Parts: sequence; structure tokens; C-alpha cells
Amino acid sequence: MGLLNFTREPVPEAVSGDMQNLNQLSAQQFSALTELLFCFLTEPKEVERFLTQLSDFATMNKISLGPLKNIVKSILLVPNGALKRNLSSEQVRADFIALGLSEEKASYFAEQWKVNSPTLTRLAVGQTLMINQLIDMEWKFGVTAGSSELEKVGSIFLQLKLVIKKGTQMENVYIELTLPQFYSFLHEMERVKTSLESFS
Amino acid sequence: MAAVREAEFAALQSLLRAPSRDAVRQLCQQCFSSPPAGLAALAQRVCPGLTAGPEEAEQLVFALHNLTRHVVYRGLTKAEDILSLFPENFHQNLKNLLTKIILENITAWRNEAQASQISLPRLVDMDWRVDIKTSSDSISRMAVPTCLLQLKIQEDVALCGNSPVVSALTVELSKETLDTMLEGLGRIRDQLSAVANK
Repeated sequence: MGLLNFTREPVPEAVSGDMQNLNQLSAQQFSALTELLFCFLTEPKEVERFLTQLSDFATMNKISLGPLKNIVKSILLVPNGALKRNLSSEQVRADFIALGLSEEKASYFAEQWKVNSPTLTRLAVGQTLMINQLIDMEWKFGVTAGSSELEKVGSIFLQLKLVIKKGTQMENVYIELTLPQFYSFLHEMERVKTSLESFS
Repeated sequence: MAAVREAEFAALQSLLRAPSRDAVRQLCQQCFSSPPAGLAALAQRVCPGLTAGPEEAEQLVFALHNLTRHVVYRGLTKAEDILSLFPENFHQNLKNLLTKIILENITAWRNEAQASQISLPRLVDMDWRVDIKTSSDSISRMAVPTCLLQLKIQEDVALCGNSPVVSALTVELSKETLDTMLEGLGRIRDQLSAVANK
């Protein structure tokens, strides 16, 4: 096997066997399976649903579930590696062919890859590490009417509650701002937005 | 702040023994700024300057504290209002001097009271930077801009006394989060101007 695009490591033995089994599927069966796979890749949290769909596919096409799961594991190696390495659909096609999949099926899969890659890339980016991510912001503002030191006050206060994800837990941070601080905060945030937009 | 009592005005007369007008001025400021708990210690410090016994000094310091705080509480800004607080037979010159000192300081004292009132932790400073994420374990090449915002937050002034605790919180915002935040801040601004224009 020549150099593969999607991985630098040697591929497990079972993969070529699984590719041969795949070649046995009809075009229709292969396209149905591909659809299942991309459905799972674009919604990786829906594991239950994916497993149910796989077992339905197995029953409908009279394939045993065990070998089917192994085949699926092998296939998934390619899109996962391709995503990490920003591979083009050409490179994905070439990799499948190098692994032993028929040209027809490899081209079909590569096409589907091209269609789905923007969604998949966005998902991968979304999974990237974020430090103390801001999840939510709540606010209220009002007027301080009086205090123990001043009978009549009449000053405006703004209170913000920031919900921050620290590791796996959420933390609430409460802050109070005066009016001038609020305007300067708003101004700075608008500058940040301009800066972020210029880099997008 | 309860109104100043007769006995307290009597105690104020000890000020007549103060070495100078500036000494009275300084004492007024110290008495206002000191929290009730610190007045006893303050009284001990001013004893020698006023040639007064410890008990007399304490009564004076409490009286002055109550008087200045009462004026600030009520928000009195006119000389007549302050003069009318004093009893009929109060020493005329001292009354005028105290009124003058209070009027000089009233704005600063009011600001001081407002700055030290109870509140949620306050924002004291903010800094930001924009980073471009170029690579991660889930995707090896990308160019995603992200914002890091550092907020310096000071705990309630009343709890910290003279050593305010300032903590720094660094928060990361994606472009989408920032857009949503700006939407919220814009709504606050609109509501604020609606209230201001009423």
C-alpha cells in the first residue's frame, strides 16, 4: 500500500478485508450505507440512533451486524483522518482506492464527502478547546433609590451575570457596572467585533 | 442617619479648644470618613491635640461623625439648612465654621458615600485581545478568530476595607457569542436612552 493521505500510521490488517466486503455491496446498498454514515458524522451525538439504523440496515440487507460494524469502523477511519488534515475529495477518493475499494464506490464516497465537508469542518472547529467559554449573559439595570448613607440617590446601576464554562462546570459571575463603564465596555466590544470580522 | 441629639451638640463645643481652623477641618474629614467602629481609635489619637480627656474626645468624635453623616444623608446643600440643625444657644462662630467646612466637603463626601455603598463585585478594568486559532487536535489547519476578554473585578468595597481584592477573569468568546452579546448590550443601550428621554 502506498502512502495514504488520511493517516501516517499503518492501517489495521482488517481494513483491506472490510473494503473487499464493501465491494460486494450493490451500488444502492453502498449509497444507503454512506448516507447513514454521513448522517452520524454530522450529528456525532446521536449514537443510539446510528446503531439502530445500522442494525435496520443489517436486517434489511441480510448482513450480520457484527461484520457490518467492523466494516463501518474501517470506513470511518478515512473521513476522521481527512477532517483532521483538511483533505480534498480527490485525496479521499485516492485513499479509498489505495485501501482496496472499487473506483466507482470510492468516487461516490468522495462526492458525498465534498458535499458534507463544510458542515463537518464547522463541527470540528466547534470542538476546539475554549478557555472559560462565555455561555450566557443576563443583565438588569435599575436605579439606586437610597442607601443607609444617602437618603436619596438616584444613580443608575447595571448588573451583569455571566455564565462561564470552566472545564466541565458552569460558573456564574456577577458584576456591577456604572453607566460610563457600560458605554466604554460597549465601545470596546464593538471594536472587538470589527477586529474579528476583519479576520474572518 | 438619625438627627443629631442635643447632648451631641454640647460635645461639639470641645472644638473651641482646637489649635486652629485647619485642625477642625481635618477632624471633620476624619470623623466623616471613619466607620463607626474606628471612631474610638480616632478619639484616642485626637485627645492630645484638643487637650481633652478620653471620654470628652470620644463624645466629640461621635458627635462630629453623626453630624457630618446626617448632613450627607439628608443631602443638605444650603447653608441655611445646615445652620438650622444647630440649637439656638450654640456658639455662633463655631456654628459658622462648621457649616463652612461641611459645605466645602459635601460633594466629596457624597461621592465617597456612593463609592463605598454595598454592591455586587464591581468591574474595575477590562482588556481584550483577538487571537487566530491555526490548529488543534481536532483539525490541523484552520484560521478561526477568537476573542479573549479579561475583566478585573473588585469585591464589595465594604467587605474589603482598605485592601480591596481584585480578581482577574479571562473569558473566551467566539464570533457568534460576541454577536449575541453585542445584541444584548445594544438592547440595554436602547432601553437606557428610552429611560433617559422620558
